[in-house]
Amino acid sequence: MTIRTVLQALVHRQRVTEDLKMASSTRSPSAVSLHGSLQLRHVDAGSCNGCEMEINSAFGPVYDAERFGVRLVASPRHADALLVTGPVTKNMVGPLLKTFEALPEPRLVISLGDCAHDCGVFRGGYGVEGAVDDVLAVDVHVAGCPPHPEAIIEALRSLTGQ
Amino acid sequence: MSNAPLIVTGVAGLAATIAGGALPRRVRVWGATLLTWVSCAAAIVGAVDVLRHGDSLILRSSQFIPFTGVNLALKPLGSVFVIATAVVAVASTLYWTGYAKHGFSTRSASAAMALFVTSMLLVPAAASVSTFLILWELMALSSLLLVLTDQARREEARSAAQWYAVMTHVGAAAILLALVILSTHAGSQSFDAIALHSRQLPSGVRATVFLLAVAGFGSKAGAVPFHVWLPKAHAEAPGPASALMSGAMVNLGIYGILLVGDQLLGGGPVWWWLVVMALGVVSALFGALYAATSTDLKRLLAYSTSDNMGLILIALGASGLFAANGNHAASSVALVAGLLMMLNHSVFKSTLFLAAGSVQMATGSRNLDRLGGLMRRMPVTGAIFLVGALSVSALPPFNGFIGEWLLFQGLLHGLPTTSTAIVIAVLVGVGALALTSGLTVVAFVKATGVGFLGRARSDEAILASEVPRVMQLGAGLLAMLCVLLGLLPMLVLGALDRAARSVTGTSIQSPVRGWSALHLHGLHGVIAPLLLAAGLVVVTALAGASRRRAHRSASPYPDLRSTDPWASGRQLQTPRMQYTATSYAEPVQRVFDDVIRPARDVDVSHAAESRYYIERISYYSTSDDLIERKLYRPFIAIVRWWGERARSLQNGSVHRYLAYGLFALVVILAVIA
Repeated sequence: MTIRTVLQALVHRQRVTEDLKMASSTRSPSAVSLHGSLQLRHVDAGSCNGCEMEINSAFGPVYDAERFGVRLVASPRHADALLVTGPVTKNMVGPLLKTFEALPEPRLVISLGDCAHDCGVFRGGYGVEGAVDDVLAVDVHVAGCPPHPEAIIEALRSLTGQ
Repeated sequence: MSNAPLIVTGVAGLAATIAGGALPRRVRVWGATLLTWVSCAAAIVGAVDVLRHGDSLILRSSQFIPFTGVNLALKPLGSVFVIATAVVAVASTLYWTGYAKHGFSTRSASAAMALFVTSMLLVPAAASVSTFLILWELMALSSLLLVLTDQARREEARSAAQWYAVMTHVGAAAILLALVILSTHAGSQSFDAIALHSRQLPSGVRATVFLLAVAGFGSKAGAVPFHVWLPKAHAEAPGPASALMSGAMVNLGIYGILLVGDQLLGGGPVWWWLVVMALGVVSALFGALYAATSTDLKRLLAYSTSDNMGLILIALGASGLFAANGNHAASSVALVAGLLMMLNHSVFKSTLFLAAGSVQMATGSRNLDRLGGLMRRMPVTGAIFLVGALSVSALPPFNGFIGEWLLFQGLLHGLPTTSTAIVIAVLVGVGALALTSGLTVVAFVKATGVGFLGRARSDEAILASEVPRVMQLGAGLLAMLCVLLGLLPMLVLGALDRAARSVTGTSIQSPVRGWSALHLHGLHGVIAPLLLAAGLVVVTALAGASRRRAHRSASPYPDLRSTDPWASGRQLQTPRMQYTATSYAEPVQRVFDDVIRPARDVDVSHAAESRYYIERISYYSTSDDLIERKLYRPFIAIVRWWGERARSLQNGSVHRYLAYGLFALVVILAVIA
């Protein structure tokens, strides 16, 4: 990485921070009991991995979503919310439900990306069961194919209120 | 005193043997069993009588055995062993009446069973060298037959029987040599005469006799390194026979060491008993370690027998040490501890072996990695095994605890001494006892947890059903005895004390006697097992009650919900994903890697198309006996090598044989001339 790209990234980060500060910081009613802290368990239910790259980016050094009280955790037992990407494939219905079942209450479901909402280009595919909505009750949806990290952070901030 | 009990024991035992060999199949087993019970009952009556009055039952006759006749004298020490044998025998034969229907009701098995019990009942009463050796051999041969009963179905039984036959006869040869040396010096083969004359023997001869006896009897008791036959033979013998071998026969090895060391030689110098103690420490640790890592249920129990015999040898050694050092109070406590542990071991180990026999009958397998979930399918057998496992782990309300407590008392109270050797021996003994107790718990948590809890790991374990009532009853009687002896050890301590007093001359119980608490005489030691058990029950009840209350009262989590354990979203949970015996023992095996030296192998086979695709991974691990591998196998290899060489002398050519004859004749003539 050249010095130039590092500087670019830093400048970008400054701008992102300023943009995000202007965004509204009201907490959605479904997340009141979280008290500003959100632990996420991510499940890839059949994504093309585009959304995963954006999630990585949102939690990377540039956007740094952890500043707003959001964390990715390694087990649903530690999580408050399920972050689901991709259309739900037939093979992933069971594991997705099992993961949701393993989440302690109160729990939320966030669907991320257009595929999670309406299966996107995979709609009608032989291995596709349906959208996340067809399997679980979704609380928050992040649109985009893939969604921009700023959009992801905005949605998450609406839950943490930070 | 009348010697009727001895006569009845012998005659009923012989009748049982004949009945087992001659009666038709339908009534054979019950006939032999009932006559064996008569024999056992007579033996118990005689032994209790001896213990109560302190004098011996004597039976001398020049009949029965040609040239030497029979010479039996049941003394207080032997009586303890007779009672242990008889109790185990009654329960095991009752169990056998159910077990025998599965191919063990042959003439040879029935006769061997009765003969085995009878010879074991009479060995502790033998009072002359020839009587003793004849009974000893009868015991060895009849048990050998029992090991072989399953040989048609199991290849391993034959190899086990070979090991057993060779080891028991090498042991018998050592015993024979020891007793013959004694009787030639005494000029008589009666034990009384030998005991009178043995004091005048030179110390070198006395030491040789003692060491031979320790090796010979130690091999019967399963002391390491003479134990290699034990895990094979005890595992391969059918259930009731292995219960008798592990519960009663190994005791007679202990009896033999007491007989030669204390009664015939009248005690010895400190170093003799240090040898016994060292043997005990090695056996206890080695046995416990292999029990903790075995995956075969009966092999595990057999190694645990080695371990328990080791603890008893530590007790005997400590008792001898303290006696040689003049601390008679501690000596008596250690000896009573040894006898109590022997009695307890008889009861709980035969319980466990009978339960393991039931498991083998119900599932056809002894491999813990193929069992599991049996507590639900065989609740009675499971409960019996659990009682046995708690006893062998020496946990308070059960009988194993009280023996180990006494041994700790004996060892620790022997400490204020001037001899450095004794201090070191006692500390090593206490350490070995502690480590052994821990490893035993690991072994039996594994046996119960993997074998009886969890989910079934094989079809046989799924299809297992409870064994016939009579088998449950036979094993259940012993399990009840485990609890009874744990709650009221006073019932037997008086008798054991009297037996020990006949050896050491001091009593362990203080004049303040009660039926619930034991006060050690001359030492500061009190234990009240009944109070202990009551306390335990109260604490358990309180814990249960408070838990239930916590459940009923308003919980801080009103919407408590139970879900499956988290398994990374995996949908198929198979019983193979449970802890196995191998994986449970793996940490212990890793810690003691240098001692066990297991052979491990991981074999990865790849798919033909690419090395990145793995077809299967197989893991293979065996921990066969280190001593067998390092000590016996090389010796066997040498013997075999010489055998191969010697075979070239015999090539079938008659001319050559004639030449040998001629050559031998010439040599002989040359030597004579």
